[in-house]
Amino acid sequence: MTTALLISIISTAVIYAVSVLYAAIGEIFSQRAGVMNLGLEGIMLMGAVSGYLVAVYRQNLVLAMIVVIIVGAVLGLVFAFVTVTLQADQTVSGMAMLVFGTGLSGFIGKRVSGVNADLAFQAFDLPGLCHIPIIGPALFHQNILVYIMYIIIPVSLIYIYKTRPGMILRSLGENPAALDSAGYNVYALRYGYVIFGSAMTAVSGAFISLAQTNFWSDGMTSGKGWIAVALVVFAAWNPLIAVFGGLLFGAISIIGIDIQMFFPNIPPQFFAALPYVATIIALIFTTGSFRKRRSAEPAALTIPYDREKR
Amino acid sequence: MRKRFRVVKRTDVSIGRRIFNPILFVLLALLFCGIFLAALGFNPFTVYGKMLKTICTPGGITRSIQAGLPLMFTGLAVAFGYRMNLNNIGGDGQYALGAILCVGFALYGPEMPAVPKIIVMFLCAMAGGAIAALIAAIPKALWNVSETILTMMLNYVFLYVLNYLMYGPWKELNQMVAQTRVIPEKYWLPDIGNTGVNSILIIVILMAVALYFFHKKTTKGFQMEVIRRSPRAAQYSGMSLAKNILLVLGVSGAIAGLAGFAQVTSIIHRVQADLPNNAGYTGIVIAFLAALNPLVVLIVGFLFGALQISAVAVQVTGVPSQVATMIQGSIMLFVIAGEFFIRYRIVKVKDTQTEGPPASGPPDPDIIKEPALTVEKGGEQA
Amino acid sequence: MKKRIIGICLAAVLAAAGLVGCGEAQQAAGEASAPAESGAPTTATGTANYIGEDKMAQEPAEGTDFSNLKIGEIESYVINDGGWCQATHESVVAAMNDLGIPEENLIVLESIGEDQASTEAAADELINAGCNLILGTSTGYASFLSPIAAEHPDVIFAQWGNKTDNLVGYDIRSYEGMFLAGYASELMSQAENTELGFAASMNEFSVRTAINAYALGAKYANPEATVKVASIESWYDPDKESQAAQSLIDAGIKYMGMEASSPAVPETCEANDAFVVGYHNDMSVLAPEAVIVSHTWNFAPIFKNIMIQTAEGTATPDDFYYWGGECSKLTDFAAFVPEDVVAAVTDLKAQMDAGDVDIFAGPLNDNTGNTLVSEGATMADEDIIQQNFFVENVQTTWKAGE
Repeated sequence: MTTALLISIISTAVIYAVSVLYAAIGEIFSQRAGVMNLGLEGIMLMGAVSGYLVAVYRQNLVLAMIVVIIVGAVLGLVFAFVTVTLQADQTVSGMAMLVFGTGLSGFIGKRVSGVNADLAFQAFDLPGLCHIPIIGPALFHQNILVYIMYIIIPVSLIYIYKTRPGMILRSLGENPAALDSAGYNVYALRYGYVIFGSAMTAVSGAFISLAQTNFWSDGMTSGKGWIAVALVVFAAWNPLIAVFGGLLFGAISIIGIDIQMFFPNIPPQFFAALPYVATIIALIFTTGSFRKRRSAEPAALTIPYDREKR
Repeated sequence: MRKRFRVVKRTDVSIGRRIFNPILFVLLALLFCGIFLAALGFNPFTVYGKMLKTICTPGGITRSIQAGLPLMFTGLAVAFGYRMNLNNIGGDGQYALGAILCVGFALYGPEMPAVPKIIVMFLCAMAGGAIAALIAAIPKALWNVSETILTMMLNYVFLYVLNYLMYGPWKELNQMVAQTRVIPEKYWLPDIGNTGVNSILIIVILMAVALYFFHKKTTKGFQMEVIRRSPRAAQYSGMSLAKNILLVLGVSGAIAGLAGFAQVTSIIHRVQADLPNNAGYTGIVIAFLAALNPLVVLIVGFLFGALQISAVAVQVTGVPSQVATMIQGSIMLFVIAGEFFIRYRIVKVKDTQTEGPPASGPPDPDIIKEPALTVEKGGEQA
Repeated sequence: MKKRIIGICLAAVLAAAGLVGCGEAQQAAGEASAPAESGAPTTATGTANYIGEDKMAQEPAEGTDFSNLKIGEIESYVINDGGWCQATHESVVAAMNDLGIPEENLIVLESIGEDQASTEAAADELINAGCNLILGTSTGYASFLSPIAAEHPDVIFAQWGNKTDNLVGYDIRSYEGMFLAGYASELMSQAENTELGFAASMNEFSVRTAINAYALGAKYANPEATVKVASIESWYDPDKESQAAQSLIDAGIKYMGMEASSPAVPETCEANDAFVVGYHNDMSVLAPEAVIVSHTWNFAPIFKNIMIQTAEGTATPDDFYYWGGECSKLTDFAAFVPEDVVAAVTDLKAQMDAGDVDIFAGPLNDNTGNTLVSEGATMADEDIIQQNFFVENVQTTWKAGE
């Protein structure tokens, strides 16, 4: 395998991973707070279209990202209102968000479909680090959103596992009643994390329309929201494992295309299915209870908090 | 002292409210969408009138049933799994494998008289769905691996298998569409009289009734309920979680696989690429909107079929397809949100007491609720 | 416990069996009027009423009234998808403008699933709205539209793909444009001594047509040229499309063709200094530095003719259109394409227009070594439209149909 090929594979895997990681890490926070949002795909599409709209009409990436985050937050607010305040079922609320977001994004994006924004997050070299052999060109010739993700990963790890708010976050998903009796406002905290998760998901969408590719078309995320949801469980609600999961998935899907030619008797659908099969196998090995570890699933996940029941 | 609103749990919920409340929220959703439509320059009454007119014709009803049939099966499948807190998102994959085995037996299996052949096709579809589900159920039962993700990932795998066959070896000769040839007409299920509605509807109704009584009247149904409420208590009383997981997910998959049987024997009489078309995912929504009641699943499944048909119709009035999709999403969101008012009412109270005890120290995780079904080995879980 | 479950299953099976039993007599009675759906309507292009390309220039007769022509268009996805649906929709609009038919005479139904209930509902709506010409733009509609068309002889149904009973059939000889594109790509690639690639969505006839024509065009420029296919295995997936292009580029390919719906392939090429022939629509809008030229579906001449025939009452459900030339249209070449390449392509196009080049002429072998066309013979239209083969210089793991 040539160095150039290796760099290309890693670089493609990194881009793929980042495109789902914003959503996956956002969803990790949301689920750790006890709220599962299956509507990531719809929110991603809304993020992708709103970012692209601003890019086309205002030619300003900073403004685009601000709008994307606001759009994500507003959708998160709606979702939080339905699932936290109204205590609606999270599974089906998420599906409704998915349908709603898909329709709305397609509708407001009609005018920019096929229009060139001519404005995207460009890759640039990170001084110093980009000279490391292989790793340098693969990891440190990327766009700003990838570099921000490099920062988000350790920060989110530290936040969840090492800080006091992180501890509160974990108990929010494990035992909200105890938090409540300790004087914390469970509803407000859940609202906050759901809105944060949704905003991050919208950023994932904008990454897809403004960094990974540079266009908008209806339904362009083509199932990535579901991959992000899968990644959360796969990662046992740990952002670091989510990173590896994303990289694994991205790498296997490009390698699958690369090696097709060497196996002319195997149908190419087999290689296309490979990332999913690999995820299943990895999921069994990483989360199977034969590892004698307790399940990382937040105990109160999908259970609406109800003070009356306390 | 200030006045504030307080939500109070309803102690008893009347049947009337259960029926009236969703209708009220559908109307609210239509009001919301109506304002949106008006803002876009469409007359909401024309649009809604069109929807209603399309559905309320004999053809509209027949088509709504036809579009709803696969959704009824996947909805029943999801509802059945969730009765034991098992999240079966794999309806699409199970549907696909059921359809593959069913059409495979119909086209490439041995020649047989119609009745036994159709019975075997029925069993093939169930077996296909069950196999697809069991691949996820086994790791769940043995090692407590999330069935949600396993079933979801398997969807992709089985859709690739389906598409491989449809674009490859099973493709109809000299045709451009990626689909099998039509199965011989003697293996088609007949219509009910001259209504244009296929008799598969009777099968799905019988199935829903059977499931309803299964949950209500049988010991196994009761066991599922016990396990749903407290897997731990169920284990202490000697029930095997692993066995029940295999059984419930297997049956759930088998029901989803029957959607394939419905297509092959009653609707298109063949299998096409991408046949499931997200029916498994829609089934989740249907199951939950139906509050997991198999009989209500049929009604909600029909309504979703109607929504699909009306999304075609409203475009004639100039409404873009994306807006039709949005209307569907809004209706779902409103009805789900409206559930709240079945369970609670809002009362005005005079607030005299302060909120909870003051903040002090980190929370102690003492009360553990039981969320999704987890398999525990020797109580090692915290 | 198990017995109860089995009991439920049995009850359902018995119910099924019972229904079949009752139904058989009824079915036998109804056999006389065999539904059009069984037996998979196929008519070879030879037996259909083939409308020749000489009709491309046909203008409506003096005084033809188009005001009563109402057109319904059924699309499988949204009309601004940047791919197939957009191309067909723009063709409809262009044809209408050409004939001066007002916009309000067109009803577009988008995102219509290729299932029976949706297709029937769509056709019903259009017929009730007074449409007298209905266009089905995706192959999946054919088997559902066919029986409806039989019931409505006053409405003309036109369906993309091979000829189906009761439906006017239409398709484009898209291999003509792709042949030229492959020729141009190989001329450019040869100068840099690289191989050609092709990022292809699914193993389907229209995709195989594009690949084969591209490869034959390349071969016309250089008998040694080969085309390596990277398969995407999805009709729409920007990630996979981009990865397929990346994979080809990593294999040392600099020039490629594509059959994919999103601009992900051109954008990936642009980011890697590679070049691509755009497909469906003019893709240079989104990747101006990578798109050599785009092959576009120009159905406008066909639609125009169908509209004329419908308005004049001369259209019949046996009509079949399979046109090339203007329909298999290439956009203008990008400014970076060397002038001698453009000149060579223009020259080849002139020879094709004059009928001097037969793209599917023998001797022609497929990529497994079988003879497709022997020396001195040429391929029949039925076989060209089905494309159940890959030509010899295509490297792919796909197996073409039988």
